Amino acid sequence: MHNNKHKKGLQANEEQFDIVDIEEEDILRLKENLPPEIRSLDEMKAKDVKTLAEVGMLMDESNRSGTYLCYGQCGFVSTQFVEGLECIPIAEALEKYLWLKEKYWFKAIRRNEDKIVEVISNSIPRGFFIRVKKGYKIKKPFQAALYMTRSTRVQGLHNIVILEEDSELTLLTGCTRAHDAKKGLHLAISEIYIGKNAKLVNTMIHNWGPSFDIEPRTCTIVEEGGIFTNTYCSTNPPRTVQIYPFTHLKGDNSSAKYASIILGLPNTYCDIGGTILIEGANSGAEICARAVCKGGTIVQTGLLIGKGENCRAHIDCAGLMMNNEGMIEATPALRALNPNARMSHEASIGRIAPGELAYLMSKGFTEEKALSTIIRGFIDPGIEGISPELDAALTEVAEISGHGEEWDVIPIRNR
Amino acid sequence: MIDIRNLHVSVEGKEILHDVNIKLLDGEVHALFGPNGSGKTTLIMTIIGYPQFKVTKGEIIFEGKNLLDLEIDERARLGIGVAQQRPPTIKGVKLRNIIDFYLKNNPEKVDYISKQIEKFEMQDFIDREINADLSGGEIKRSEIFQMVVSSPKFFILDEPDSGIDPEFLGKIGGMLTEILHSEKNKNQIITRSSGLIITHTGDILNYFNADLAHLMMNGTIGCTGNPQEMLEQIQQHGYEYCINCNRRKKREL
Repeated sequence: MHNNKHKKGLQANEEQFDIVDIEEEDILRLKENLPPEIRSLDEMKAKDVKTLAEVGMLMDESNRSGTYLCYGQCGFVSTQFVEGLECIPIAEALEKYLWLKEKYWFKAIRRNEDKIVEVISNSIPRGFFIRVKKGYKIKKPFQAALYMTRSTRVQGLHNIVILEEDSELTLLTGCTRAHDAKKGLHLAISEIYIGKNAKLVNTMIHNWGPSFDIEPRTCTIVEEGGIFTNTYCSTNPPRTVQIYPFTHLKGDNSSAKYASIILGLPNTYCDIGGTILIEGANSGAEICARAVCKGGTIVQTGLLIGKGENCRAHIDCAGLMMNNEGMIEATPALRALNPNARMSHEASIGRIAPGELAYLMSKGFTEEKALSTIIRGFIDPGIEGISPELDAALTEVAEISGHGEEWDVIPIRNR
Repeated sequence: MIDIRNLHVSVEGKEILHDVNIKLLDGEVHALFGPNGSGKTTLIMTIIGYPQFKVTKGEIIFEGKNLLDLEIDERARLGIGVAQQRPPTIKGVKLRNIIDFYLKNNPEKVDYISKQIEKFEMQDFIDREINADLSGGEIKRSEIFQMVVSSPKFFILDEPDSGIDPEFLGKIGGMLTEILHSEKNKNQIITRSSGLIITHTGDILNYFNADLAHLMMNGTIGCTGNPQEMLEQIQQHGYEYCINCNRRKKREL
């Protein structure tokens, strides 16, 4: 079902290049049982903690229901106990629960989907298993930090998230690299199962750099009445990234929303999209893609497939070109398989209107502040109850885009 | 407060304003009348500092500083506030963002602004996109409310009373009263703001006493005088009367 559609990337000068190449040495490393670089979360250096905080991963867990940290190749789970929530390393879960292999392991995604999935399927299982038991609504977010250290050439993970009937979870995923890590390849498979009337809000924040290649593969199955919100924000793009999650709205009255916010910088290639198959009757899907290009290539693609009776779908891709460098390509697509499907799309690419800038400056905003305010508004994914972590990441994207300085606003709400 | 001297302004190479002179003292509010296309909005945009309005001659002195040496934001920070007639819509930017910006620089105003939001029933506007899907009257309310928040020393209103119903006008009039008499510094000394108000109907003049009125015609100030008298003449005889009056004056000179 997954579609690794781009074999070659296209640069702004229209030259093609190889997006990612997995070397034999990397494949072998993923099959090796490497000794852990640290023995507990407490052994992390202050710089590691700071870098992780930049993608919303906090070692102070007072506002978290739990933590999974993949430090290099090795996974750690915090010991916090929250009733109804279980998180253990995937290898342990496969031993503990025999039903995991039968019902969920490579059931949303095929082992031979593409080379990346194949490589991970033949590697030592690394990653997390999260389960929220029936009827439990986990109030505080769970955080999953995927951290590449200096010695991690390649990271290959397979995660499984299961939300049982009537359960709820907010998942924060932060993916980043150590400040001294020079190069790396991050591969990941995520299989997500959202049960009847369950709700998953997943926010993923990436901070990489131009020497990393990122290839996650995510497939989600949503049952009747299930809700899936998936937001991706990249504050510092890698050399190449392809994120093209697939969601199957299997049950009636189910819904999914993808939002992506991308900052493009010179010498980077970001291909961000997704497919949502709407099979359940009266179900709805939405893709909202926002890109700010200061260089490099950004490809916004999305496909909504309307199969269910009275399904509805909307896809909106919008891009801001900040200068003459770089390229944005927006391709929103719709496929109707049912005459009663209601589907729409829109796409726009442009620059910031000088009148908007002058207007905010006439209110006293400096040019930089006006720029970052306009960009922050532009990239707003329109999600209710936006998390502080995502808010911080969006503000960072806006400030980098507008060369803005950091500024704190004093909230006037609830005064 | 502000002294506009021998101002000539061009847009895309064409001169729009010629030899405009207006002197406005501290605490004075002046009305600016004039037919459509006479150059009123050009004058406002030039005072604010929009770059497409090129000053080819003259100067604008505000509290001893030549505004022409300053960027738009620097002028705003000196205490010049404007309520535009047709402000842009900015996707995703909300009135809250602008209010938060003022609060960042004036944290002591938190309580004052909260009270004003309630007083002027602006709660529903706070989390809406700036000027998006708002009626003409709502845009004016939003624009003028921003001046209630920022309490400028010198405010400029571009047709606050055109195309709005009496109820809305009452709300705008209330805001204007607030702007005129709001606290201007941390010592809570209440002083009267100065302002320049463009009006066609003169309805807004029912909410405060304008000290002087100017009539702009063909890009220059044709007449300056008592606001009520001038407004009555315009309402009874139209701008044509003023134009003829101006011609008579010129002949007499």
